[in-house]
Amino acid sequence: MKYTKYFSLIVLFIVVMTSCNKDKNNPGYDYMGDHDMYYTKYYKAYSPNPVFKDSMTNQLPVKGAVSRGNMPFPYATAGIGDRAVNQTLAGMQLTNPIAYNEETVARGKELFNVYCKVCHGETAKGDGHLYTSGLFPAKPTSLVDTYVQNKPDGEIYYVITAGSISGLMGPHGTQVSPDDRWMVINYLRSLTK
Amino acid sequence: MIINNIVRNNSLLIKGFFVSGFLSLFMLLSSFGYTQTTEDEKNFQVCKACHTIGGGKLVGPDLKGVSEKYDEAWLIEFIQNSQGMVQAGDERAVKVFNENNKIPMPPNALTDDQVKGVLLYIANGGKLDGGEDTTSIDTQDNEDVELQVAEETTQLIAEMKRDGKRNMSYVFIILIILFVISLFDLVVVKVVKAKWIHYIIMLTSVIIIGEIVFVEATSLGRQQYYQPDQPVWFSHKVHADQNQIDCKYCHFTADKSMHAGIPPVETCMNCHAQIKQGKKTGTKEIDKIYSAFENNEPIEWVKVYNLPDHVYFNHAQHVNVGKLDCAQCHGEVEKMDQIIQIPDLSMGWCIECHRTESVQFATNKFYEQYTKLHEKFKNGEMPNVTVQNIGGDECAKCHY
Repeated sequence: MKYTKYFSLIVLFIVVMTSCNKDKNNPGYDYMGDHDMYYTKYYKAYSPNPVFKDSMTNQLPVKGAVSRGNMPFPYATAGIGDRAVNQTLAGMQLTNPIAYNEETVARGKELFNVYCKVCHGETAKGDGHLYTSGLFPAKPTSLVDTYVQNKPDGEIYYVITAGSISGLMGPHGTQVSPDDRWMVINYLRSLTK
Repeated sequence: MIINNIVRNNSLLIKGFFVSGFLSLFMLLSSFGYTQTTEDEKNFQVCKACHTIGGGKLVGPDLKGVSEKYDEAWLIEFIQNSQGMVQAGDERAVKVFNENNKIPMPPNALTDDQVKGVLLYIANGGKLDGGEDTTSIDTQDNEDVELQVAEETTQLIAEMKRDGKRNMSYVFIILIILFVISLFDLVVVKVVKAKWIHYIIMLTSVIIIGEIVFVEATSLGRQQYYQPDQPVWFSHKVHADQNQIDCKYCHFTADKSMHAGIPPVETCMNCHAQIKQGKKTGTKEIDKIYSAFENNEPIEWVKVYNLPDHVYFNHAQHVNVGKLDCAQCHGEVEKMDQIIQIPDLSMGWCIECHRTESVQFATNKFYEQYTKLHEKFKNGEMPNVTVQNIGGDECAKCHY
């Protein structure tokens, strides 16, 4: 009976130890982690922030602000009718500031493969994987057909920035920087040349 | 791995079986009556961008009952080249054009017969002749098969490693108890007469305890195999592997910012404005995107790869300049449902790569400024220029 006591003690120990299994949600321990040694207490890019009303550290630029080196984009992007009008307007007013050469076309191809390929397809015929696998309901526009190729650069730029008139293609202005958008257009032009 | 491959091959077989079954069924059905082909359905995909059949107006008008409104010859001409008709001053064409915000309908390169097929497809209410809603049945089967093959090797191995690590705590406790008991017996109780038994037990337990302490102390502050639950059940496996979306489509600041970037909800909406149902989670998880989008609230993702604040790391430097692939540090993310930290992000891990991997010294313009090194490189004195050679070993590069 003497040993049962020890035995039950050991069993109790194991039970206690198993109950504090490491949680996969727990990142683990740091050396002085809570004392400003490992993670200091400033607000990081994606951390919540009590100072601002919307409690986000990453704030949007002030309305109307134009970042350095960028041209403003004064065209309305809401409403189907407005979008159609503004797309034509952009087509008439905007010109491609990026020179058409091998370098910009190569960069455009790189960007095209990241942002456009998945819907418009490797050859830009509108047969991207998302469409051919049956996930995306509508056929993406072929970018090598005359319909798109006959449009001025500015209209294509407008569509990349603000999305298509139908709204099936979302706005990619936040993802692709202005210069990059023009380079993608250069690449599109190279496809039919 | 082998078992996994077999399962995968099986799934392909099963898929093939369903597809061929569906095809033969379809051919059987279509051999009766009108020979409408899937081509009509395919051609209508283009129209779907702006039109619905009985779903209300999108960009263009609802196409339900369009064949009754206009005669076939007019429709064929309009579908093939609507702008030509508007410019020619066709009364009805101009009216339709004006009614729809003057948005031109792109011309369609379809033959008369193909247009007739599409019109029939519309008249059938968006179904092929032969009745059955075959496409949805097909995807349904695929879903079930895919659920069975939900094996994530990389993720599984990493999870196993993490779970294996936990067990050391019991060993640690038991060894300490052993050590204390034998010490107690040696000094106080003296039940066991042979002293060498105590020495052996104590020595081995001290060695193993030391090893455990060493391992645990080095992993202190490192979060290897950290795998937090995210607010939305988002699967990299579905997005990056099955749908073949590039990493940088969503993490679009990786090549121009310190942070790889968590995509805003607007980026999700580029696709999910249309794709409203997931194969594995249905509408449950995707609805969270919609509510975040409508209420203009950010989704609070949990950061997995954390570095202490005394280390500076910049994604742009590695992705844009160094041309590293994401997988070189983050592992096979495209095989993970729930993201898990693969490397330990220790300094040794960083430095090892800086010392062994050579940079693209010949082609990359970023390294042009290292003129002396370029001379050596051209002479053949240094065939491989590593990050260490261009100062990647200096403390102040990352700690400042």
